[in-house]
Amino acid sequence: MSRLVRSLRLAAVAGILLGSAFAQDIVLDSRVFDIGNELRCPTCVAESVGESNAAIAREMRQIIQEQLDEGRTRAEILGYFQERYGDWILLSPPRRGVLLIVWLLPVAAVLVAGGGLFVLVRRWRAAADEVAPVAGEDLARVRAALAGDDPAGAISAEPAPPAPRP
Amino acid sequence: MKRVAVVVAIVGGLAALFLFGLLRGAPDRNVPSNLLNRPVPNFELPVYERYLAEFGPRLDLADHAGRPMVINFWASWCGPCYAEAPHLEAAQRRYGDEVLFIGIQTQERDARAAGRAFIERFDFTFPNVIDDDSRVSIAYGLFGVPETFFVRADGTLAYKHVGPVDAEVLTERVEALLR
Amino acid sequence: MDLSLGTLGSAASALALGLAVYALIAGIAGAVRRDARLQTSARLTAVAVFLAATTAVIVMQAALLTDDFSVKYVAEHSRIDSPIWVKVVTLWAALEGSVLLWAWLLTGYTAVLALTTPNHALRPWALVIMQGVQVFFLGVVALVANPFVVLANPPFDGPGANPLLQNHWMMAVHPVLMYLGFVGLTVPFAFAMAALITRRPGTEWMQLTRRWTLAGWGFLTAAIIAGGWWSYEVLGWGGYWAWDPVENVSFMPWLTATAFIHSVQVQERRRMLKSWNVLLIVLTFALTILGTFLTRSGVVSSVHAFGDGPVGPVFLGFFVLVTLLSLGLVAWRWDQVRDRAELDAAVSREGAFLLVNVVFLALTFMVLIGTLFPLIVEAVNGARVTVGAPFFDVVSLPMWMLVLLLMGIGPLLPWRKAETQSLARNLAWMTGGLVLAAGGALAFGLREIYPVLTIGLAGWNLVSLGLLLVGAVVPRARLTGRGLATTTMRYAFEQRRKVGSMVVHFGVVVVALGIAASSGYRTDVQLRLPYGEPVAFGQYELQALAPFSERGAGRVSVGVEVAVFQGGRQVDLLRPHINAFGNSSMTVPTAAVRYTLGHDLYLSVAGAVDPTADGVIMRVIQSPLVTWIWFGAVILALGTVWTLVPPRGPAPAVVPAGATGRARA
Repeated sequence: MSRLVRSLRLAAVAGILLGSAFAQDIVLDSRVFDIGNELRCPTCVAESVGESNAAIAREMRQIIQEQLDEGRTRAEILGYFQERYGDWILLSPPRRGVLLIVWLLPVAAVLVAGGGLFVLVRRWRAAADEVAPVAGEDLARVRAALAGDDPAGAISAEPAPPAPRP
Repeated sequence: MKRVAVVVAIVGGLAALFLFGLLRGAPDRNVPSNLLNRPVPNFELPVYERYLAEFGPRLDLADHAGRPMVINFWASWCGPCYAEAPHLEAAQRRYGDEVLFIGIQTQERDARAAGRAFIERFDFTFPNVIDDDSRVSIAYGLFGVPETFFVRADGTLAYKHVGPVDAEVLTERVEALLR
Repeated sequence: MDLSLGTLGSAASALALGLAVYALIAGIAGAVRRDARLQTSARLTAVAVFLAATTAVIVMQAALLTDDFSVKYVAEHSRIDSPIWVKVVTLWAALEGSVLLWAWLLTGYTAVLALTTPNHALRPWALVIMQGVQVFFLGVVALVANPFVVLANPPFDGPGANPLLQNHWMMAVHPVLMYLGFVGLTVPFAFAMAALITRRPGTEWMQLTRRWTLAGWGFLTAAIIAGGWWSYEVLGWGGYWAWDPVENVSFMPWLTATAFIHSVQVQERRRMLKSWNVLLIVLTFALTILGTFLTRSGVVSSVHAFGDGPVGPVFLGFFVLVTLLSLGLVAWRWDQVRDRAELDAAVSREGAFLLVNVVFLALTFMVLIGTLFPLIVEAVNGARVTVGAPFFDVVSLPMWMLVLLLMGIGPLLPWRKAETQSLARNLAWMTGGLVLAAGGALAFGLREIYPVLTIGLAGWNLVSLGLLLVGAVVPRARLTGRGLATTTMRYAFEQRRKVGSMVVHFGVVVVALGIAASSGYRTDVQLRLPYGEPVAFGQYELQALAPFSERGAGRVSVGVEVAVFQGGRQVDLLRPHINAFGNSSMTVPTAAVRYTLGHDLYLSVAGAVDPTADGVIMRVIQSPLVTWIWFGAVILALGTVWTLVPPRGPAPAVVPAGATGRARA
């Protein structure tokens, strides 16, 4: 008896909570979410079909499952949605047109940064190979430091510098 | 000086971009339809009782091939749909002889009573059908409701309107279909 | 007018702002005129600002806890029947409150700095910068997004905090950590600017702020991983990172801060990269402001953009001001920070640090461009495009591999120049570790490239850490004649920075393994679980017992009890459910997770919980090694703390930095 009452109360709560949003009774396999993660949920703010709980995302997951059952490939299924929604729906931007730029920019950044680093390292290496002449201001600072009179405070405020190279 | 110019250029560029973003407001879904100038997908959906006499229990788009069409997607929970509904009915009364208006209730499931109330409230004289599992809205590449598709007599999509339509848009686009 | 909490809070924040403005002006005047009395006045005012801001926070908490709906923020974001902890954290559950929290933490840091920084040439200007930032945030609180606005007709109850936020206790932790991180990284920024202003672009500014920087970085790291855990438990799809714009913008300052804590070491040891370090810290600070702007203005679409308000333009203005002033200052002082660097050998510690810096910057750029690209395209030609998670994965994974590779090599390389012989020997050992680990992974049937590579690189890094430890401990043990264990302990206590960094790197390896395994090898299905009948799932059998419903404080839940069997024995009882809060129409599926060391079993209700039906639809996910991410994060945090605790015994001669840190730690 109490069980019945409980289930009735539960049904009421479930009705409030769930409404008609979860009306489907579907079993989905792992590939569905895998493909869903490549698709942007059309009605959500910024979620994938694999993540979202929106009604349309659920429906799209079911479509993916049906098409998988029909033997369609991942590319064909993605193509099905792309045909309807355009490139917008693909979370991985296709490598063409304007969207090619977003793929090329990071590569270009790595190349430019790597090239810049290479040039700098070569320059710094060259600087290190020169025998540094000690004269003028530097010499004066060393002398002052040796005399115990440290004008800039710059020498003593650092950990012991590494031993000078021969 | 050159360095300062570089700094100002970079910061200025970013600031301009973000200012654009601010003025634009939150991103909307006004993505041009991928179906533009291509034949719209066919569908066959159950019809609301009110239109049974004229259209039968199910409406098959293919049966109406050769007519220009205005296909409007709505849901009973959607505020803007209420705003545009009177304009749709007015356009139907004006152009209904030449153009087939179809309303599709979508992105809600088993909401017959609410759908019926919506239809009665605006006294829609054009057929309204039920897309319970939102399949048709996916086939049409819908981002949300309302969206309105203007289809030429040859079955290709002339224009998709995102958000509520008004009398002006309807007149302009329907006239274009008839031209 | 009677004295309501709203007017009291407004008064406190206005007072804080007024005092902060005074402190800023007095600070600038004191610094420019080298007037010690004005400087002291500014310093002491910082404490007063903190007290006033604290009052504002206390007033807000009082309003939240007493359900004073005449205060607009309370009326809009709180609810009478919410549990107390939710009311407390509602302070940072929406925009106005989180800016108040940020401002308050900033005033706290500024006050501590003002009181504990030793009298140093950098101090006046560093405090001026802190106070400038503080004026901005307090200005936002008092003038732009005032949470204390009084409602003429207060409602009887409010809607409560965002359901997604009150669904998990992590929300009490994650934002606070995030702001502690952001505010912590303001400190090195302030000192860097002070160094430029006072023409002392040496290493003092970074030594004075070393602990602040590390603590800020540690908080940010913890915040990001805590946010991941929140996503994992709340969002119901079994993932912890989605490359959502809001996640990205919190990640970018972390990337630049990580580059920074490595490259400052190059400057400390080798006097190189002066300009680079200044630029990095400017970038880090600017990115924290940019991130706040992007997430609070609705300019980019994000699941996490919780409420926007009038602050968008204000943060944009501040971003422009900060970048222009600080980069302009760098440009102005360029001759002083320009490197006259020498590099003895590319294959050296500094060489590796340089390279990893480039990789982190490239990652930052990748995240930035990926996040902003849709906005850029729209601005240029009006088109709407999508750049989503798969893009970030594909582009960043090779770079992460490079990071792991360099993380193994870098610490083993000596400064200046590596000795070819020992380097070759070390590399041989590490390559052995890599081959062994990757080979093992292949032998166990793993074929995905990145997980196998990550496991290989984990082997590489573990060998590298082993070599580091052995190389440090064995000679010491020989020299002192003590046992290995004792020597290791002593080493750990004496060389906290070194050992701490080793622990942090170990934590990174653990996190990397967790990410690689869980993203490469998860099983993610939706099953129908009939009540009372076990359904096989991998090594488990899942048996839905019965639906349940319960009421908590301000919350209604319905769910299903699921018994988890393994080898015929019940090992767990999971209760995935759906929560609804207050009268919000939004329901939050709340996953139930069986955490184990090897893998997580993750259940999330995906269909109606209908007692008249004979079963329930459940999303069932098994992902390997997810817990390693959380464990790794704990290791990382402990390693960071270890480096922060000042060493015992007489401090080295240099340490103004020690004094600052000690007060903090």
